[in-house]
Amino acid sequence: MTEVANMDTYASKRRIDIDDSVLVMRCWQGDSAAMEQLVLKYQNRIYNVVLKICSDPDDAAELTQETFVKVIENIDDFQGRSGFYTWVFRIAVNLTLNYCRRNARLGFSSLDSSPAILTEYSSQSSRVLREFLSDDSSPDPAAVAQNKELYEIAVGSLMKLDDAQRAVIVLRDIEGMNYAQIAKVLDIELGTVRSRLSRARSKLRQILEAILQ
Amino acid sequence: MKEIPNMDELLNSFIDGELPARQHTEVQRLVAHDEKISRRLQQLKRCKMLLNFLPVAEAPPRTLENVKASLARKTTLLDEQYSDFAEQAGARHLLGRRVLAAAAMLGLVAILTVVIYTIVAPETVPQRPIAVERREQPLKVDVVKPEPTMVAVPFSGRLELRTSYLPAVVAFINRAIEDNIPSDEWIASDQSNVKEPHALVCSRESFNLLLAELGNIWNKLDSAALFVDTEVFGEQIIVDAVTTRQIAGIVNQNDSKKRVELAKDFAVLNGIAEHLPGKEILTAIDDNTVGLITPPKPVLTSNQKTIKKSTTRTEANRNVHLTITVTGSS
Repeated sequence: MTEVANMDTYASKRRIDIDDSVLVMRCWQGDSAAMEQLVLKYQNRIYNVVLKICSDPDDAAELTQETFVKVIENIDDFQGRSGFYTWVFRIAVNLTLNYCRRNARLGFSSLDSSPAILTEYSSQSSRVLREFLSDDSSPDPAAVAQNKELYEIAVGSLMKLDDAQRAVIVLRDIEGMNYAQIAKVLDIELGTVRSRLSRARSKLRQILEAILQ
Repeated sequence: MKEIPNMDELLNSFIDGELPARQHTEVQRLVAHDEKISRRLQQLKRCKMLLNFLPVAEAPPRTLENVKASLARKTTLLDEQYSDFAEQAGARHLLGRRVLAAAAMLGLVAILTVVIYTIVAPETVPQRPIAVERREQPLKVDVVKPEPTMVAVPFSGRLELRTSYLPAVVAFINRAIEDNIPSDEWIASDQSNVKEPHALVCSRESFNLLLAELGNIWNKLDSAALFVDTEVFGEQIIVDAVTTRQIAGIVNQNDSKKRVELAKDFAVLNGIAEHLPGKEILTAIDDNTVGLITPPKPVLTSNQKTIKKSTTRTEANRNVHLTITVTGSS
């Protein structure tokens, strides 16, 4: 499976390979520079995941900031039983999911607030999506990323999933976590990750096919 | 080919590289031989790709600064809260210390007051109630007047006796006077003339002895009247049917007014008794009773003669001025 291997490699290339445990230990010693390094190391990834889950850039920025404040405030409580990376994402996803649930209770919808999310797509978008889905060849990742129609369709379809499914699919397909990491971040069983991810992708496929029709 | 349950789950795990090697090989074999599974795998891959190739959104450039600012705000807020708390705690502490200091000062003042009171009070306190009592209610002081020197008011009067046994009575009286009254305290112009009065100027003791002696012949008298002189010149209280006891009571009275009052009472009493039946009985009882003021009669215990009393008496003691007249009953 060369394609799958390539996709995971793409995701892993975005990671900065610095030993988190060293930075954490320096943070424990009150090294503010180490704290800054940790923030800089993870801010984009956290922001990206949060944005994909909540879909609002401002809220995502706020939630990212809140995540790091919580991380720094509670860094002394971090016991290292899981990786620092997993711990940070767990805080971020929990904050984001709480935010989504709070918004849902208050009647706010990210679909309505974000201009990037469209519920109805033009024929051009449908055509682009059809071509993308029907092409059996390996697509160029950069070309896909720069395709505006595909971006809108992807984000819009993602937001039509429920929060739990969206979280698990974002962590796997956008952040590139493995199932074990997702289980730790979401504090669920590995089998639950597997089934939830399967349902999320099936639903996403249905959403995309609905767009094609 | 038999339908495999959870095929999508298996295919997704295959796509994600989450299958063990053996299952991975089986799925590869399935995909190679089953067009339907292969197509489904392709659909799932495309879904994954659609999301996987989404551009990575970068965090706002000021994320780090915002995090620092947020932390600083929280720290400041905590500091302010701590500062406020510390300030309030300090204020409370200061207030508590002030209250304690005030309480301690009050305690010291109280102790000093007690000490001063203990020192000063014994000198001042006893005077206060006396002063108050005198203002509100005058202190009743029983002024014990000095006992006035009892100067007996001389008795002045006249005793008129009437008897059917004139010679014997006169003789008895003369002898009684001679025995009991010193010679210089009585005057009898003519002892043979019984009608001549005996003027006695003697002491009460002598008179009482004489009166006790006369009591022996009192039942021989037909009447006895005592004329008591008052302070008013020429006015007399006449006590008829007087007894020796009544005479002694009147004569021995020191106060002239009381003496007159007593004489009047006896006069009234005797006047009533004169008109009551059984007068004789009353007289007998009265005569036979020895009164409290009746002096004991002298009793001879041997053949010795009675020692004459000293005649050296002062004039002040001679406070009985009595004239005795004895007349015979017709």
